[in-house]
Formats: sequence, structure tokens, C-alpha cells
Amino acid sequence: MSGTPLLALTGLAVRYGNVQALRELDLEMHPGELVALLGSNGAGKSTTLRAISRLVRPSAGGITWRGRPLARASTEGTVRLGIGHCPEGRRVLARQSVATNLELGAYLRRDRQGIRADLERCYERFPRLAERRGQRAGSLSGGEQQMLAIARSLMGRPELLLLDEPSLGLAPKLVAEVMAILAELRRDGLTILLVEQNALAALAIADRGVVLEAGSVSLRGSAAELLANDALRASYLG
Amino acid sequence: MSGLSLLVQMGLAALLALSVSLPLRCGQLSLATPGFYAIGGYVAALLSTRWQALGGAAATYPLPSLLLEMGVAALVAGAVALLVGRPVLQLRGIYLAIATIALVEMLRVLNLNLEWSGGAVGIFAIPQPFAGPGGYLAFTVLLLAAWCWICARLDRMRLGRAMAAIREDELAARCMGIATTEVKLTAFVLSAVIAALAGVVAAHFLNTWNARQGSFDASITTLAFVVFGGSRTWLGPVVGGLVLTALPELLRPVGDLRLIVFGLVILIGPALFPQGLITPERLDWLGRAWKSQGR
Ligand SMILES: Nc1ncnc2c1ncn2[C@@H]1O[C@H](COP(=O)(O)OP(=O)(O)O)[C@@H](O)[C@H]1O
Ligand SMILES: [Mg+2]
Repeated sequence: MSGTPLLALTGLAVRYGNVQALRELDLEMHPGELVALLGSNGAGKSTTLRAISRLVRPSAGGITWRGRPLARASTEGTVRLGIGHCPEGRRVLARQSVATNLELGAYLRRDRQGIRADLERCYERFPRLAERRGQRAGSLSGGEQQMLAIARSLMGRPELLLLDEPSLGLAPKLVAEVMAILAELRRDGLTILLVEQNALAALAIADRGVVLEAGSVSLRGSAAELLANDALRASYLG
Repeated sequence: MSGLSLLVQMGLAALLALSVSLPLRCGQLSLATPGFYAIGGYVAALLSTRWQALGGAAATYPLPSLLLEMGVAALVAGAVALLVGRPVLQLRGIYLAIATIALVEMLRVLNLNLEWSGGAVGIFAIPQPFAGPGGYLAFTVLLLAAWCWICARLDRMRLGRAMAAIREDELAARCMGIATTEVKLTAFVLSAVIAALAGVVAAHFLNTWNARQGSFDASITTLAFVVFGGSRTWLGPVVGGLVLTALPELLRPVGDLRLIVFGLVILIGPALFPQGLITPERLDWLGRAWKSQGR
């Protein structure tokens, strides 16, 4: 693909003390792409997302956003730039209402009218959240909480959505529902970096995939290539 | 103690409870309040006794001078909080609690040994801006009302919502773009300012100020106000401060038993109401009950 990538990781590495969680990761994302970041537990997927949104400091390598280095940005800064991070484990605010969770997703925005319009659009996209808007987020089912977590990230109007294991702990029918929503968001032009252990579900909607193993890239290619890859089939697709 | 004096003490306790509750609203267990209270008291005591231009020699100490002291105390305490807050607020939970107790103790030992703070004896004959406890009461009530208003407003402001989000899930808050360090620091500075203002009033009211005013005991007592009243609303700490300050006096008739009763209340309160006496849910419920009564 041509043009400056939206996001580029070059030789990205992260250590937690003695643990080298990520080494030498190169990845470019272009506007409108949906890239699946795959790998088993502990492979370094969440760490990659945390490094992009500056929740952890890389030990080496660089991250650029539209060609500009992110080296000095804070997490708040990355959100302002248009990077939305929907963290692992949903992490909705259980004691706050659905509506308050969504409003907090728009924390850095000042355009009240735009926020209200987005809230309405979000309730259209997620009708079950609309029904439960006054309810405490903690009272929602796991699937609903995942929808809320995604919706809350969208309220920040990101250009790039970093999504960490949205299928975790969900029944197959709900996984399909979540993936359908992601495919729809992608059609609307959102760029998505999707972290998943469920490789089959993720590759079904992704353009490309990158497979991490113990912090290093073991495979990468188009979704079709990866789905046809014997090694991947053996280890992840069963 | 006269009834009016007790009411002043209650009001000051409520202010200190608000001070402890602000960092707690973003999940920070800071016990530094008595330290900032002591700073406020020393600012008032020193300015009013050593700086003649403020009118300390007059029969009644001028109100503008008192307000000036409050401004200076707020600035000094706020600056110290800003300076200390950045490193200290990196700590979490019990470690933050211990670090803030250490801060209170350091200030106490410093005040105990410094020449200008009067050493162990402290500062005496602090001039009186009001003729009696009635004036102090009115002033304290005004101050408390102002801070209650500010703390109630917080719930509707971005700052208050950010604080609640941090308390519930700091990582989620950061992902929303909340500058968590700055928000925590703001809460800590506000907390310091409230405590310092209470200290200014207390120094005049007590007429004397010394290093005993900001101690480890006070850290625990002020925390008890908040634990008892509940830290999730502004009303909880206020009620906690008022009730727990009044209780020992109200129990005076039962003699030595009062300490036992007081201890039991502090023990049983949190056991029965783990989130404190007052929670947002209970307030909502009361509000609804009130409305249906009206109909
Ligand atoms: N905060 C942390 N401290 C120390 N080690 C960590 C921390 N977070 C993750 N790790 C380690 O880093 C590696 C990668 O973790 P992670 O990125 O969470 O993997 P994944 O998301 O792919 O399951 C794992 O070995 C994990 O144990
Ligand atoms: Mg993970």
C-alpha cells in the first residue's frame, strides 16, 4: 500500500523488568485497514497495544503516527491524536450507569452537540445499550459489557481502534455478533487493530494478520494466506 | 465546652473530613490532612502575632487580615501539596497512607524544633477576630457551606467524574484520555487547601497553636470521620465529622462508659455500613421516598 501509514511500529520492544515481552516488532497500518494481531496467551499482544497507547514505555524501537514520532506522548495525548484503546477484560465502570460510561468515553471532547449525536448513533448501533442506558454497567451480561466497552471507545471518535480480545469469555453466537459489528465499523472507515486468540473469528473479518509467539512475529500475511497456512491451522485453528 | 464551641469544633471536623475525602474520591488514601491543617494554623499564628500591620494589637482582629491569612495559608499548603504530591501520589494504597503519615510526622517534628514556630511551647495569644464563639460559628458555617457547594458541584463537573472513574478503574480511566496524575494531584491540592483553611480558623479559635495540632492521631481520627460517614458523596464525610465530634460530648453524662460507646460506634458503623452511613444509592432512595411523600 502507498502513502504515509497511519501508524508505524519499527523494531518495537518492551521489557517488564527481566521479562522481554515484545521484541523487534515491525507493523504498518494504513487508513481503513483491519489488522488481526494473533497469538496465544502471553505472546505479547496486549503489550503491543499498551505500547502504542503509551501505557507502557518501549525499551527500544519507535512508534510513529501519521509519520510523527509518538515518543513523548502521554496516554491522554494518544487519545487526543485519535488512538482509542479498548483494554482487555472490558473494564466498564461497574458502579456507573451505561450512559455515564459512554459519556466518559467522550471525556476529552468539548463538542456537546457532537457528543449527543454520537450517543444517539451509538444507541442505534447497540440497541441493547439503549434499553439499559440508566442501568449500572455492572448489571449487564458479559456480551453487553463488551458492547459497552467498544461503544465507549467509539465515543472518543478514534481514527484507530486498538481492541484487546473482545471475544474473551463470550459464547460463539456473541463472538459472531461482536465480529459483525467490527466488520461494520471497518466498512464505515474505522482503522482497527484487533488482538485475538480466536484466530478464525478474527481472520474472517481482517485484511491482514500478524502472529506473535513469545514476543516475536512468527507469521504474517493476508487473512486468506493465513487461513490457508498449515502451521497456523495446526496451532490455532484446530 | 460551651454548646457553641462544640458546634465550631464540629464544623472544623467536617471541613477536615471533606479534606480527607477528596483524594479518596479518586481512590487515594492520603492521611496528610493534619499536616496541612498544621501549616494553616502556623501561617495564621505567625502572621497575626508577628506582623503588626495586620492589626493584631487591636481589640478585635480585622476580618480582612483573617481573609489574607487564609489566602496565604491556601497558597503555602497548595504549594507544598503540589511539590510533595507528584512523587508521593505514585504510591498506592497502604504505601501512600504511610508516606503521608510520614509527611505529617516530619512537619510535626520540624515545628517542634524550629525557633520561629515557638518550639514545644508553640505560639500563644493569637488575636481574636470574633468576640465569642458565635462569630466563629457563623464564619465556620459559611466556610463549610462554601466547600460543601464546591464538592457537590464536583459531581457534575468533568473533574469529579474523572475522579470517580479513576477510583473505579485507573487503567480504564487512562484509556478514556483522563490525565490521571494531574487529576489526583488536583484532588490532593484541594484537600490541602481545605485543611489549611480549617487550620487558620482553628488557630484563632483555640487562641494558641503548637506542634500537637497535626499528629498521627489526628490522621486516624479524620479518616474515621470519612469511613463512618462514607466517602462516595460530599455529605458522608460532613456527617461523619459532625457526628463523631459531637458524640463524645453528648455522651458525657454516661461518664467513663462514653469512650466504650464511642469505640463501639466507630467499630459497628463500618461493620453495618461498609461504604459508610451515606452512599449515593441511599441518597437516591431517600430522594425518591421524599418525592412520593410529597405527592
Ligand atoms: N505488568 C507486567 N509485569 C511483568 N510481566 C508482564 C506484565 N504484563 C505482561 N507481562 C508478561 O509479558 C508477556 C506478554 O504479556 P501480554 O502482552 O499480556 O500477552 P498477551 O496479551 O499476548 O496474552 C507475558 O509473558 C506476561 O507474563
Ligand atoms: Mg492479553
